[in-house]
Amino acid sequence: MLPTITFNHKKCTDPLSCRKCLFACPTHVLGLGTDVPVQKYRETDPKHFIVAGVRFDKCTGCMDCVEVCPKDAIQVSFSGGI
Amino acid sequence: MCEWCEKYGDGYERWYFNPANYARRLYKIRKEEAEVSGAEANPQVAGGMSVVGREFLELLDKGEIEEVNKIKQQAEAAAWVTHFGQVITLDEALRLADIMYPISLITCACRRSMGGASNEENFVCMGMGPGMYKWERWPDTYRGGVHFLTPDEAKEVLTKMNKRGLVHTIFTFGTPYFGGLCNCDYPDCAAIRTVVDLGVRILWKGHYVARINEELCNGCASCVHRCQFKALSFVPSRNKAYIDQFQCFGCGNCASECDQEAITLVERASLPALAKVW
Repeated sequence: MLPTITFNHKKCTDPLSCRKCLFACPTHVLGLGTDVPVQKYRETDPKHFIVAGVRFDKCTGCMDCVEVCPKDAIQVSFSGGI
Repeated sequence: MCEWCEKYGDGYERWYFNPANYARRLYKIRKEEAEVSGAEANPQVAGGMSVVGREFLELLDKGEIEEVNKIKQQAEAAAWVTHFGQVITLDEALRLADIMYPISLITCACRRSMGGASNEENFVCMGMGPGMYKWERWPDTYRGGVHFLTPDEAKEVLTKMNKRGLVHTIFTFGTPYFGGLCNCDYPDCAAIRTVVDLGVRILWKGHYVARINEELCNGCASCVHRCQFKALSFVPSRNKAYIDQFQCFGCGNCASECDQEAITLVERASLPALAKVW
């Protein structure tokens, strides 16, 4: 069973320096990336960094990421309900 | 000999010992396709540095084997042309340090994406060739910059990383051009987790297979933590380590840790049932 993992990007504004959910996840489900392509001659602005689910098949539904998020920006749900 | 050695070895024992596969002209060919699009090394676009995404996982979850295999084959075919890797041993990696030029230490994109590693703790990847001169042009791809190394310095770094337990892999950037000598571990390495968890072969097994001599194994289990491929386990009733040779990627990290010399590497080609298990 795969989870639906949603991030409220209005609340999660600087995941590059926070990274709490990445470290909290015991099975390394989450990934840090950007919502814009790589650009020449400059580093991507931190505001373009986002966290997203990657290894959905390894999510156990423990909700540690939800609990650790200081911005209350993460929701995890399974279609069967949890 | 793997099919890449047959195709790109040009008389060399392995395709990655052929200096032509590090030559600049090959890099130029790739540039026209990939660099212009700006799509390289964007973890999000690539789905956490992965070649298969949510759709694949859903089909796998539902047991739609036919569809899974179709996507798998497409992903592999695309990767084998553009960007994929093969496991090599430390001895082979040390030999490459005298072939590739320039060599640089860079931050690992996989660990940045999946492990949230900061630049300071993330200089575990090696890049080589003319691509390394592009770091000022693509600061986001080479976050943290590059440290250029002499061959001797590279050998020292590789030896240290091997001691830490990292697995050496050689990666193409526009096959057969080699642009990366990565030092990988599970689960943050996209290549290892994709091939081990999902069976998508963007990382090929190496030319060796590890085997245990049970008479020499004293059951100390110090090798067990060295395997990054779920091939090595411990059998308590026999007090011996056990290697699933069909799952072994031939990195040699278990063998180098064994004080008893109970683990040896044998040529994959010497074992009929494994000769084509890549």
